[in-house]
Amino acid sequence: MTDQAIEIKDFKFRYRGTKELALDGISLNVSKGEFLVLMGASEAGKSTLCASMNGLIPHYQRGKIKGNVSILGMDTRENKVADMSEYIGMVFQDFEAQLFSTNVELEIAFGPENFAVEREEIGRRIEKNLAYVGLEEFRNRPPSTLSGGQKQKLAIASVLAMQPQVLVMDEPTTDLDPISKQGVFDIVNQLRQRDDITLLVVEHETEETLNADRIALIRDGKIVRVGPVRDILRDVDFLEEMGIMPLGIPRLFNQMNYPVLPLTPKEGVEEFSKTGWKISGEKYAQLLANEAGADEKKGNLLIQCKDLEHTYPNGVKALKGIDLDIYQGEIVAIVGQNGSGKTTLAKHLNALLTPTEGEVFVNGLHTGEQGVYEIGKKVGYVFQNPDHQIFSELVYDEIAFGLRLRDVPEEEIDQRVKEALEAVGLTGFEQEDPFSLTKSGRQRVAVASVLAVKPDVLILDEPTTGLDYIEQRSMMEMVKELNRQGSTIIFVTHHMWVVAEYAKKVFVIKDGKLLLSGSTREVFSKEDELIESFLRPPHFVQFSNLLGKTFLTPDEMISAIEKD
Amino acid sequence: MNIDFFIDIDTVVHRLDGRTKILLFLFSFVALVLFEDPLYILPIGLLILTQNFLARAWVNIWRIRILLTILTISSVIMWNVFASGETHLFWFVDLESLLYSLARTMLILLMIISGMNLLSTTRNEELVLGMIKLGLPYRVGFAISTSLRMVPTISSSIYTISQAQRSRGLDLESGNILERIKKYIPLLIPVFISTIRGTNVFGMALESKGFGAREERTFYLAMEMERRDWLVFAFCILVMATAIYLNSLGYGDIAGLTKF
Repeated sequence: MTDQAIEIKDFKFRYRGTKELALDGISLNVSKGEFLVLMGASEAGKSTLCASMNGLIPHYQRGKIKGNVSILGMDTRENKVADMSEYIGMVFQDFEAQLFSTNVELEIAFGPENFAVEREEIGRRIEKNLAYVGLEEFRNRPPSTLSGGQKQKLAIASVLAMQPQVLVMDEPTTDLDPISKQGVFDIVNQLRQRDDITLLVVEHETEETLNADRIALIRDGKIVRVGPVRDILRDVDFLEEMGIMPLGIPRLFNQMNYPVLPLTPKEGVEEFSKTGWKISGEKYAQLLANEAGADEKKGNLLIQCKDLEHTYPNGVKALKGIDLDIYQGEIVAIVGQNGSGKTTLAKHLNALLTPTEGEVFVNGLHTGEQGVYEIGKKVGYVFQNPDHQIFSELVYDEIAFGLRLRDVPEEEIDQRVKEALEAVGLTGFEQEDPFSLTKSGRQRVAVASVLAVKPDVLILDEPTTGLDYIEQRSMMEMVKELNRQGSTIIFVTHHMWVVAEYAKKVFVIKDGKLLLSGSTREVFSKEDELIESFLRPPHFVQFSNLLGKTFLTPDEMISAIEKD
Repeated sequence: MNIDFFIDIDTVVHRLDGRTKILLFLFSFVALVLFEDPLYILPIGLLILTQNFLARAWVNIWRIRILLTILTISSVIMWNVFASGETHLFWFVDLESLLYSLARTMLILLMIISGMNLLSTTRNEELVLGMIKLGLPYRVGFAISTSLRMVPTISSSIYTISQAQRSRGLDLESGNILERIKKYIPLLIPVFISTIRGTNVFGMALESKGFGAREERTFYLAMEMERRDWLVFAFCILVMATAIYLNSLGYGDIAGLTKF
């Protein structure tokens, strides 16, 4: 018997119908009981590598394959996926598609049932794994009624019930709010303590990888580097180059040319006290004064919610009395836990939904009376999933769709499509097939199609979900530029660093109510209240809070640091 | 949006074995198609409604009331076109054809109600297990239950997609039929594509959980035919036998009816 859980030797894979190798000579060994995190930009081959581990490649997704993947000594070519699944479990990103049962207990039973495990034993495994992920009180609930975080925990429990020795998770927390994310990673860390299970997790968020043993970085189908977590996370420049978000704390110390790079907020504070640096009170006051000054210059009142309530036809009350004002030229983030009502709120701002109680005004117009067709001209809405709106064969037609519906003359359409494509950085893509673009490309097409109508306000629902760090940055830089040109921006998001760096104002929604609102700095200084609504600021902001001042980015802090 | 039909409560009907509930559905179908005369369909209909009442499943019927109303109106008119009789009433409607169309309409409505009784009181897994114990292969049972499961998933994606397109200015409510059909293209394509993508992950997740790994498979859900099941079963046989006997004697037809 080998002590390696995963052995990959010079593995190459090309999907059927494509020319380029998705995996190009991967060699990787993971020993039993290890916890390895796999990171890399979009399309680097992370999911392909995951699918290669349990034999989905080559048995389910066909293509050309070279080299070997062996799990606990079993070659994936010679073993069917179903047979492998007894030894290697797989948790997917899409938590809707991987749950098939009508209640939580039966979901966990599904795997063991397939292996003809005795009923009593299945019962024991259900108990054990429900307790393990903390879902005991939900045992009789249909999975569809659980929150995103609970669904993902259930998916993990249902895989653990098969008692695999290797567990692969492909971006298990992408769609989750920060605290649910942490909940999932708490389970992962618990699993890490066990030496009978080997973990391989694909993750975008650098903060969550701190407890792993090693990180493997993948680019263009090749493993570029494998090493201990702390070594890799300290290599700030290399991470940036790889398209992975470096942690804010080491980034700050790195930029200050300090020899030691702490990683966590606690380490940061400790190290900071040794540096002899001081945060200039004067400069901080200046920062606050600038912000207050910008706030006073705010434009006209654009959107107004007055005691807004919304009850869905099935009786669920999603919004319970929200009062808020949004002014022209603002860039605003709406944040909150999965299911807190933030998307329901956003949909009221362009009249997709109308209040069941209270009122919403856009530009002084009552949304209930005007309807989405009229309000939609002023307020554009980009949905979370671009695949929920793209249908044309050409990028050009997709972007022209809204204009044609509103009978804009063809010559003007031509001009506007051009402008919209330029704004999203897709000039020259007019004749491309939108479905052939990457997720971030499709996201941009979706934004352009809304921009072309020239709305005053742009609402973006989770604009950065499913994108890698570089794509997230360029998406948000584009949004920032649109804001600079005069668009009012409202975005809904789970990504706290995006809020920290791009939003000027934040609305925190909890259980259908407005829990907190104010400037981003104010809101992020109230960590306790944020945690109450299942949110927490990025590590860097936590670190600065511990130092007594709230800084949103390392650059901001650097400009206020005085060296002795 | 919750479009699942199963109602998770404890009633006499819910407690019945999955097999019994499936058989109830099949028996009611056979009993209903035997007769042309609404008078003979009526007692079977009352039994189905009693089942619905006991199962407290009326909410599901109420949910599809619009569909049922449309079906009722179109069916009452349509069957008159496909049948004629000797006693002319008005226009193309004869007394016999009217009775016949009423009977057919009752048949359709009662079939739907009976099907709804089954779905409202039977968990997806119980349905599969019931079908398997009645002799269907597991994969077939699972396929049927998966397609039932797809319904809510697809309708929720239709809902999201129609919102996305409406906020881009698509107005589905105006225009003539041809224009309206054209307007559905921006809905249908994303629905197809997102469904296909979802199905792909579903397939992978299924394989990864060992679907079809062993010839034999266990079921965590316990299922025993109990005394109440046999009683219901016996009652069903009795009703069926009576229905078939009456039918063989020539009762339940409409005299003077010609079907096309």
